[in-house]
Amino acid sequence: MSEVNKKVSEPGGLLKWVDDRFPLIETWNAHVAEYYAPKNFNFWYFFGSFALLTLVIMIVSGIWLAMSYKPSADDAFVSVEYIMRDVQWGWLIRYIHTTGASAFFIVVYLHMMRALLYGSFKQPRELVWLIGMLIFVVLMAEAFMGYMLPWGQMSYWGAQVIISLFSTIPFIGPDLALWIRGDYIISDATLNRFFALHVIALPLVLVLLVFMHIVALHKVGSNNPDGTDIKKHKSPEGLPLDGVPFHPYYTVKDSFGAVMFLIFFAIIVFYFPDGGGHFIEAPNFEPADPLKTPDHIAPVWYFTPFYAILRAVPDPFLGVAAMGLSIAVLFAMPWLDRCKVRSIRYRGNSYKLLLTMLVISFIVLGVLGALPSTPLYTKLAQIFTILYFAFFIVLPFTSVNEKTKPVPERTT
Amino acid sequence: MKNTFLRKLSLMLAVMMLPFGLVHAAPGYNIELEKVNNNVRDQESLQRGAVLFANYCMACHSVELIRYNRIARDIGWTDEQAIENMAFNQAKAVDYVKTRMEPGVSQDLFGIEAPDLSLLTRVKGNDYIYTFIRGYYEEEEGKWNNKVLTGTSMPNVLEGLKRHASDEAYDQATTDIVNFLDYVGEPSKVQRWDLGWKVILFLLVLLVLTYLLKREYWKDIKH
Repeated sequence: MSEVNKKVSEPGGLLKWVDDRFPLIETWNAHVAEYYAPKNFNFWYFFGSFALLTLVIMIVSGIWLAMSYKPSADDAFVSVEYIMRDVQWGWLIRYIHTTGASAFFIVVYLHMMRALLYGSFKQPRELVWLIGMLIFVVLMAEAFMGYMLPWGQMSYWGAQVIISLFSTIPFIGPDLALWIRGDYIISDATLNRFFALHVIALPLVLVLLVFMHIVALHKVGSNNPDGTDIKKHKSPEGLPLDGVPFHPYYTVKDSFGAVMFLIFFAIIVFYFPDGGGHFIEAPNFEPADPLKTPDHIAPVWYFTPFYAILRAVPDPFLGVAAMGLSIAVLFAMPWLDRCKVRSIRYRGNSYKLLLTMLVISFIVLGVLGALPSTPLYTKLAQIFTILYFAFFIVLPFTSVNEKTKPVPERTT
Repeated sequence: MKNTFLRKLSLMLAVMMLPFGLVHAAPGYNIELEKVNNNVRDQESLQRGAVLFANYCMACHSVELIRYNRIARDIGWTDEQAIENMAFNQAKAVDYVKTRMEPGVSQDLFGIEAPDLSLLTRVKGNDYIYTFIRGYYEEEEGKWNNKVLTGTSMPNVLEGLKRHASDEAYDQATTDIVNFLDYVGEPSKVQRWDLGWKVILFLLVLLVLTYLLKREYWKDIKH
């Protein structure tokens, strides 16, 4: 242990020169070599590192796409096909980027699920959760704007649907939608500004938020599947007994995880790049045509649960409000859940039942949001929208006096 | 520990894939589509398909997202062969594959601009196109309709081919045309398939190495 955990304490040469001017070793030790993480992380704890890896993949592949992409209504569609056909390895770079978009949401949804399972949003990690929720919201905006750039039929009409949501807001709605589009219809002006936001503004915000997410996490320390506090039991040297230094223990473990993730990623990129029509929708291979509405406009799969909630409410503005609320209410989780026990392992049946209901509702809404609406599906969407919100309404009451099991002092 | 991990992982993957299976992203059609059995690795089929496409389709349609020299390289022709077989020596190798029809003529004759077919297979799928080009029937003397796209503006260009060829030859010819369009829809498909398994194999070796490294470091940590 002392061998692998050897500190870089007395540097010389170039390292000393740098360290005299920049807190290199201090930062490395604080966040990597001497950051103690609980030793009992299970597979749910991979998804945070997968999300970080996906962010890097998206930024790098995105830079290379932007080198050949043309953000104009006349050229955008053809330039994407130019990337697919005439640019060396362009097809690979583009499929990595389209697969990465869906992979991002898969790992982020599972990462959020992990927090709900083990109570990682609870005191003292409220800010970690809030910053994470902000990342999720910015990620949705980033994905939405990126989806417009290929300028296919779904790019155009999907954006048409989403932006028209804003015009349902009373009083300011129509002007707001006009301001977002920069035109009376979705046009070249809209495409140009979405490109600017997609490649510069939002990625900057994302990277900053991810940095803050990690800094906030390292301030309070990582939660673990038992929901215990590893800082309560320390060795005589003051090191957490149930913790291990992030480096090398979790760097090697996450390397293994990263390769596992990349294998699944490669299977999609090379053998199922359109994800059965879910990752790249077939109508998007037709150039955007403002005069021809597609038969069925479905958002990409990662937006469908929220889209189903929107459609479930008969009044357009209330539908938008319900959709907004379904995301906003997640921000309040640290205060809605009043149970002191963090991990689901030691929580009562009420939380297990409620969480199962939430997950089922989310998945069913996701399926319904991708299907054309029929009276039956609308009825179903309404039922599951109620169940989705029921989780957040019931939780504050059941969690106060929840029948929990005793939490062990040490990790198991 | 390893076993439960793999079990959980595979269970989770299965649960995650389920909703995707429930929703068919492909559009539904009122009629049963014929299944086409084409293979974009079959260069001879692609060559026949390219010639048929040039003769029967390019009078009105283009595939202008691809160049003659790219087609030549991928389907086993020289540039000169591609120009001779597809453009009757009326184009350069670097040119995109355009229609022979003058602009506006299609509008005058058929009331519609004949669409570019570069991405048709990716929008509609191979079976749709196969069924469509074979789906003409004679409503009354000299008046054709199509069972896939009722009232289509496209004339039954393959009528002569069908009349003079055997059933097998006709099946083969229509399959070749769809095969060519499938190839044009994504010219890098074969390259993608051939690279993929090598990347995955490399990652599998890396997976074993990183696993051994992880196990070596973690062997002292008691749970």
